[in-house]
Amino acid sequence: MDCQDVRSQLLDYQRGRLKPGPRGEIRAHLEGCAACARAEEAEQALSELLERRLPQHPASLALKRRLAAQWPSRPPVRGSWWSRWGRSLVPAFAVAVVLLVAMPLYYDQGRVRQATGTPSMVGEAVNDHLRLLTSQHPLEVESGGIHQVKPWFTGRIDFAPVVSFAGDQEFPLQGGAIGYYLDRKAAVFVYKRRLHTISLLVFRAEGLPWPSRGLETMGSVRAYSTVARGFNVVLWRAGELGYALVSDLDSRELLALAGKLSGAS
Amino acid sequence: MWSREGPDLGAALGREALAYIDTLHNTARYLTGNDADAEDLVQETYARALGAAAQFTPGTNLKAWLFRILRNTFISLYRRQRRNPIVGGLDTVDPTAQGPADEVWLRDDVELDRLQNVVAEEIEKAMMSLSEEAREVILLDLEGLTEVEVADVLGCAVGTVKSRLARARAALRQQLKDYAR
Repeated sequence: MDCQDVRSQLLDYQRGRLKPGPRGEIRAHLEGCAACARAEEAEQALSELLERRLPQHPASLALKRRLAAQWPSRPPVRGSWWSRWGRSLVPAFAVAVVLLVAMPLYYDQGRVRQATGTPSMVGEAVNDHLRLLTSQHPLEVESGGIHQVKPWFTGRIDFAPVVSFAGDQEFPLQGGAIGYYLDRKAAVFVYKRRLHTISLLVFRAEGLPWPSRGLETMGSVRAYSTVARGFNVVLWRAGELGYALVSDLDSRELLALAGKLSGAS
Repeated sequence: MWSREGPDLGAALGREALAYIDTLHNTARYLTGNDADAEDLVQETYARALGAAAQFTPGTNLKAWLFRILRNTFISLYRRQRRNPIVGGLDTVDPTAQGPADEVWLRDDVELDRLQNVVAEEIEKAMMSLSEEAREVILLDLEGLTEVEVADVLGCAVGTVKSRLARARAALRQQLKDYAR
């Protein structure tokens, strides 16, 4: 592999898109070629400059309000008896069928309840994240550091959210807000990674259908990670509190943040 | 502004589409260069997205789909009226070739250090001095879209994305070199 080959693949190399073979060849070349090593540094410096300092231009509140008001949320109900009543009965029939099939399994195997409930936890986490993204005032407290955000929740929720990770250069803490997770209040912490918004929901863990299978060890906790509607979601519990981390960020990077959070929490 | 069958189609598309408004506006702002045109472009993008909602396949990348509509809308509404700051397309030059100025810059470690001191306004200015084609490929890459998704947005081959991105970043580095003094 010569200098020209290496230069043309530097971005792929830095973003981990190469297979082990070519990646090793490039690494070996960079160790022996000062010019290509400087080119690699220059690419890295440019990426960091863009990610950290390129000014961002979010939409104005007026535009958000206008589009949100005009965006249709549900189709109108019209048409025949079947379309009005028959269709609405389909979910009921479906529920009946599911109950008939699932009830014996429920009694045979307690895990089923947890497995079937988990999607609702994942779905709710994604919904909360979307609500935050589309909100006209996503952050109720802007971050001046974790010691400003955490005390803000006092008196607003019925528990103290345990989040020891104060954010760092990779994942700066943006602020917090109060949210609702299923039937309970949640403390929402918002982190950033480049242009990606990451929501961390903290809520009381008891009484929820936590997943018991497909768990990975992450620091001192066992976490469940999945993808829903294009968003990566990581769920875990620590003591009496539950945590849901959601973002469109790459799953590897999101798990890295989850590691920092769970290791500290 | 919405089409008559909007409610059905909008519901099919879901309100997730609105979650991308900030990122679409940011790209629109860098393409058009001003807030008023960026707002119009984003509003028109959502109007067209709603009109074309039936063509969206649930489960595919909604963000990339919206960017494609934004880009096509920009081309049809704005690009023809505008002057291109850099003469010649990004696809016309060998992407692996390093320009003479680039070589000089890379030889000088001090320049690399100075790059750390470039401020936000200078980066934005450098970005705006690039061609729209260069700006859009840098922004899409920065948004975290994969090369395949960027190729889909731009309607070109993955290899073309690679070469455009390499040329665009080289052009940006060249512009930033002037600020890093």
